[in-house]
Amino acid sequence: MSKPDDAGSSERQHTAAAESEHPMEWDEAPNNRKPASDRQTISEREEKDDARKIVTGESKYTADYAKHFPDLAAGSVLRSDIAHGRVTEIDASAAEEMEGVYAVVTPDSEEVPDKPYTSSGQPYPEPSPWDLHVLRREVNYVGDPIAAVAAVDGDTADRATRAIEVSYEEEEGVFDTAAATNPDAPQIHDPDNIENHQPGADYERNIESHIEGEIGDVAGAFEAAADSDDRIVTETEWELPYQSHCVPEPHTTIAHRDEDARYHLITSTQVPYHTRRQLSHLFDVPIRDIRVSKPRIGAGFGAKQSMLIEPITIALMEAAGRPVKLETTRREQFYALRSRRPARVRMRSVVTDEGDVEALDLSAVTNSGAYGPHGMTVGSSVGSKPLPLYTHAPNIRFEATAVHTNLPVAGAIRGYGAPQGHFALEGHMDEVAHELDMDPLELRARNRIEEGDIDDASGVLSGGEHTRRIRSCGLGECIDRGKEAIGWDEVEQPDEEHLHRACGVALTAQKSGVAGDELGAAHIKMNEDGSFILQTGAVDIGPGADTAMAQIAGEVLGAPPEDVLVQPSDTDVSPFDYGAYASSTTYVTGQAVKKAAEKARTQLLEFAAKLLDEPPETLEARDGAVHAERTGESVTLEEVGYGSIYGDDERAQVMGEASHSTDESPPPFGAQFVDVTVDDRTGEFEIHDLVYAVDCGVAINPDLVEGQIEGALHMSYELAVSSGYSFDEDGTPETLGFRDYGMPTADDQPPIESIIVETHEPTGPFGAKSVAEIPVNGVPPALSNAIRNAVDVRVSDLPITAEKIEAKLDTADEAAD
Amino acid sequence: MTVEIDLTLNGEERTFEAERSDSLLDVLRKNGYTGAKRGCDTGNCGFCTVTVDGESTMSCIEPVATIDGATVETIESLGSQDDLHPVQSAFVDNAALQCGFCIPGMIMRSRDFLEENPDPDREEIRAALSDNLCRCTGYEKILDAVEDAAERMDGDTAVAADGGQPVDDVSCSGCGCGVNDE
Repeated sequence: MSKPDDAGSSERQHTAAAESEHPMEWDEAPNNRKPASDRQTISEREEKDDARKIVTGESKYTADYAKHFPDLAAGSVLRSDIAHGRVTEIDASAAEEMEGVYAVVTPDSEEVPDKPYTSSGQPYPEPSPWDLHVLRREVNYVGDPIAAVAAVDGDTADRATRAIEVSYEEEEGVFDTAAATNPDAPQIHDPDNIENHQPGADYERNIESHIEGEIGDVAGAFEAAADSDDRIVTETEWELPYQSHCVPEPHTTIAHRDEDARYHLITSTQVPYHTRRQLSHLFDVPIRDIRVSKPRIGAGFGAKQSMLIEPITIALMEAAGRPVKLETTRREQFYALRSRRPARVRMRSVVTDEGDVEALDLSAVTNSGAYGPHGMTVGSSVGSKPLPLYTHAPNIRFEATAVHTNLPVAGAIRGYGAPQGHFALEGHMDEVAHELDMDPLELRARNRIEEGDIDDASGVLSGGEHTRRIRSCGLGECIDRGKEAIGWDEVEQPDEEHLHRACGVALTAQKSGVAGDELGAAHIKMNEDGSFILQTGAVDIGPGADTAMAQIAGEVLGAPPEDVLVQPSDTDVSPFDYGAYASSTTYVTGQAVKKAAEKARTQLLEFAAKLLDEPPETLEARDGAVHAERTGESVTLEEVGYGSIYGDDERAQVMGEASHSTDESPPPFGAQFVDVTVDDRTGEFEIHDLVYAVDCGVAINPDLVEGQIEGALHMSYELAVSSGYSFDEDGTPETLGFRDYGMPTADDQPPIESIIVETHEPTGPFGAKSVAEIPVNGVPPALSNAIRNAVDVRVSDLPITAEKIEAKLDTADEAAD
Repeated sequence: MTVEIDLTLNGEERTFEAERSDSLLDVLRKNGYTGAKRGCDTGNCGFCTVTVDGESTMSCIEPVATIDGATVETIESLGSQDDLHPVQSAFVDNAALQCGFCIPGMIMRSRDFLEENPDPDREEIRAALSDNLCRCTGYEKILDAVEDAAERMDGDTAVAADGGQPVDDVSCSGCGCGVNDE
């Protein structure tokens, strides 16, 4: 990397403390780094453990358990139909009298807790404010739950819900973050009713949190640039709308009391343990008296990190005195639950003529909607996830403000702020490249993060105090292979004069779990037939985490993955886990599984040593047996299993358990490429190919990794081109179904090519990093960049539409005339 | 108001009691045929797709009262875990599934389509599947699976050995909820 000569604003030196705190060398277990030829079960395209159940329709999701409860009632929720105001009266008499209605609950019902909580599903203590109540008199968006009904069936419950009459005292609403921070805007929350530990809250201006941090001297860099003729200053602005998770399985909960009168929930959650803790808080029930079971989950994408309907279901169950199933509707999914937060992002930079980035300044305003779950933490990710791509920049500033409006509540969703930040940063980098007349890949090559770097940009909010070592980075290979696959250097223009073809690129980064704030635990035991039962709290919500865990355990134990049975997460049975979010499962829980399996392996080899009459340290477990190197003899795992449990000598079950927590969160990296043709008469565009190359360390299961890439690219493509939500002037949602919303179908979805670039992350299990979220970051900037390259217009507000392109082409034409 | 509905369901003559307002999906799920999933109740997602008189049908918007006497096939009528139908095995072998919630409907749609068009190209498959949404896969591996299934089908119309009955549930050890059956 070349750097400008003048020292004042050039590359900063990392302190010796940072260098020694994060050595490049990592004390790695000897078996953690295996060349591909030595791997047995990892890196294999193992069949997903539930695949056969799924294709035969036998895989059971929460609603499929209804038949186990003969006296099960159905729940339904009455939600606010005004955006801001106060409920003055709830007349439920007609509903209560309806035949088949078991219970109606309102904010005044004794079964309904009256204390604040957060739905965020984060570890204790939650960074998110406690600003929610289970049922609400103060309503802050169309969708706030006010009352609920339990009845003999769903139709009756719905009819009863509609029969409840609610009177409101309506207040003016505010639906835009710029308007909301105006001192004259209606105030949404009274801070006296909220427990909020986030910095920068100013509820009089509807600000939930404000955070900022700086490395170097950004203002100084801009001042110096103003007086300099060999530096360019670039400013851009970017805007993104709401996005729905579109989870296939609507949030569903069954609540009942078991024979010990404990609360038992079967529920579609990504966070069984955090849900249990929050329910304990809300209902004043000891944690031990709550059991949360996770069956198969019809995907989460962050939607089911939120605890949304479990408290209402318990209140209904208590009021009705019988088990209750509450299954949300698709309409509720779109307007009442959680979404990706809209954002406005401003980028500024100073770059030298040669293309060296000297300063980056990213400023984001995110729209939290009516309540605050994940407001500050998503806001911080807008900068802290993408900015490390250019961690060499000596001056970096970042600020994020989370603002309330009377619109749907934003929450956690795949990417967690990173898509908003990447759209701004990677779109901005291309604008800089255009100003410099430089190949956008050349600009990135000069500035991008590399293996061996000490990265402090991820710690920009700490002023660079928090740093990390980049021990694996395959970004260069991602760019090279993606470039080749998309045909970057071979774009041929169509014969028609009005058609213009071009490629666009965006680099991407994410994390692998929340550094210093994760815990995964695992327990594995051997059956006498040589198979294993693996219990983890890892929550497989669809991507195949259970299969990856079986592959990791199998690799250690020399067992085929199908002989490692992974039990679904259940708080009574499974070891603790923070849950399925933040791309943490493979990296954190996978390491706990590996450690637990290694403990079991030590015992396994000791039993095998007796059977083989060889020292254990000379034995190797592979292919379902333990082999003695010296004699060439072996015993099967089944023989070891029987010997350990029924043998003549000392008997002990082979089992291991371990926890894993870590301050490390190594970033995966990736390069997104888009190939597009634009019609300059209409602005219509066709995407020929989406290529994404990812460095996720060692891919534990390439099929599953490709599945993550392809699914995330689908969501990323949707964010780029679909229309988000629309509302009327009173904040009433108009987007209430899949088709209104425009979720891409098989016919709409452009072809996807995924490329796995292997690196070795020494801190991860067998070298693995995360992959679940990172591919969701790249399509909006790469598509916007491709269109800019094709027809020289920039669409900087999502969605990218033909109408916007056409309007900008028209404006450009007028300017040219 | 309760009505009686006669169906030929997965090859068997069956009579079901149903509310007049019930959809076909309601009746199937109440009677243990839970392979078809409820995703939207508006005919927008296709997770509830079953075959009615040979046509892929969104069972959530099919009023049960209008299909008295119809022939209905559900995912339970295809192969079993040990003896998969070629479309099912193609989905398994191509890793064309993640959370799985859309898959029973997607497989019924694919099976019906391939019986009509045994040798489709990729664009025809995209069009044929466009009433069935999937959020996890980006459709890429599903398209691969359907292409592969076309080759595997080859006139094969395997029927489950158990006649497509719902699988009996075994109670869980804790509380009778059955949650740990899987």
